[in-house]
Amino acid sequence: MTEQVSIALGQGSSCWGCFQSLIDIHLKLADVLPLLDIKYWQAVVDYKLSDLESYPDKSIAVGVYEGMARTEEDVHLLKTLRAKCKILIAFGTCSCFGGIPGMANFYDIEDCYDVKFRNNKTFSDGEVPSENVPPIESIVRPNRHYVDFDVYLPGCPPTSSLILTALTSLIEGKEIELPPHTVCHYCSREKKETPVPEILRPFKGNADPDRCLLEQGYICLGSATWGLCEGQCVNKGVTCRGCFGPPPPITQDHGAASISMLGSYAPLLPDELKEQVPDPIGYFWRFDYPSSHLGNMRIKREDAKNAK
Amino acid sequence: MSTEAQTQTTEKEWEPKILAFCCNWCSYAGADLAGTSRIQYPPNARIIRVNCTGRIDIEFILAALDLGADGVLVSGCHPGDCHYTSGNLKMRARWALFEKAIEQAGIDPRRIRLQWASASEAQIFADGVRTLVEQVKEAGPIRRSWE
Repeated sequence: MTEQVSIALGQGSSCWGCFQSLIDIHLKLADVLPLLDIKYWQAVVDYKLSDLESYPDKSIAVGVYEGMARTEEDVHLLKTLRAKCKILIAFGTCSCFGGIPGMANFYDIEDCYDVKFRNNKTFSDGEVPSENVPPIESIVRPNRHYVDFDVYLPGCPPTSSLILTALTSLIEGKEIELPPHTVCHYCSREKKETPVPEILRPFKGNADPDRCLLEQGYICLGSATWGLCEGQCVNKGVTCRGCFGPPPPITQDHGAASISMLGSYAPLLPDELKEQVPDPIGYFWRFDYPSSHLGNMRIKREDAKNAK
Repeated sequence: MSTEAQTQTTEKEWEPKILAFCCNWCSYAGADLAGTSRIQYPPNARIIRVNCTGRIDIEFILAALDLGADGVLVSGCHPGDCHYTSGNLKMRARWALFEKAIEQAGIDPRRIRLQWASASEAQIFADGVRTLVEQVKEAGPIRRSWE
């Protein structure tokens, strides 16, 4: 038996979907688990944050961070993981780009409090909790603003096969090799070079099951998105929403690239487009607003406000 | 020079930095003509020549604003006149979504301008630059808009 690889898995603010996907490797877990020496994984093994803090620096081989850093505790966990682990993996789209929770940056934190706590429809006289909970950061910053990562594994969630590939390479001590193709590479639909006549909302009409969804007018971000998902959604009849973020180099602005892509496919009149796409920022920057240029300008505005 | 004096001079002398993308076939030639015809217009625009406005990724514009450009101008051939038949129509479609997105993101739409100026329309090009510079002067330095 090969030597065990020590691993610490931390979770920031997220839905646990990425770790769920890790567990979804099913029977392969029997191959992988014995090779892992879990040093920290609060949700699964009984370790506390103080245990993680007590390890010597760089003593753990691999760290995995899921989710983004919404609370001060998340930031602390993220920095602690970086200090204790030799290799740190940004696990999932939230961790790589900000993800769905990053859309909170469209609003001010006070507006978010109003919706979530103060004027919550299912609750009367709500107030923002301040006891027994960690303080909330005023804005979602991409995790890479806090620490450096060695590996980015995007996906909402990363597919089980992708996780297996990554884990196997790590255990064997090899470099992780990921194909750079976009989602279109894996899509089996037929594509004819026709411009899009009009943009359709997903609930309109019946899509031809064999033709490119984008050409039929449904906004599909597949051609601007990294295809590590191997085209799961598009082959099942759902448009790509871009959850894997931009293809390498992944520091590209995915939303901007998607708009540029859509403009090329659908050279429609501006007024029509504005009417047919009611919420461009929410559609094109759904998964990566904090790490985009627009999101960065938003963070600068927040910094300037806090500096006052 | 004391810090206070320095701030004062910078504030007094602040001139907007405008990045202008001009297409090779119409607007760049139009800008050239504006120069050779000695048309007066503000010197704030730094022109980048691109083959076609259809080549301009929205990321270029956002990166410019993110890196500190106070305004961005995109100038191309009139719709229907594109050297590559439809590049400017693609830019026009992108622009519609881009414009809406930056308004949603809380960035002053006065900082951006899309215009059409053919190779003979030096005056239109110059007026466009002037309009944008005036708009951006009203909006102020982009750094200050974060405050």
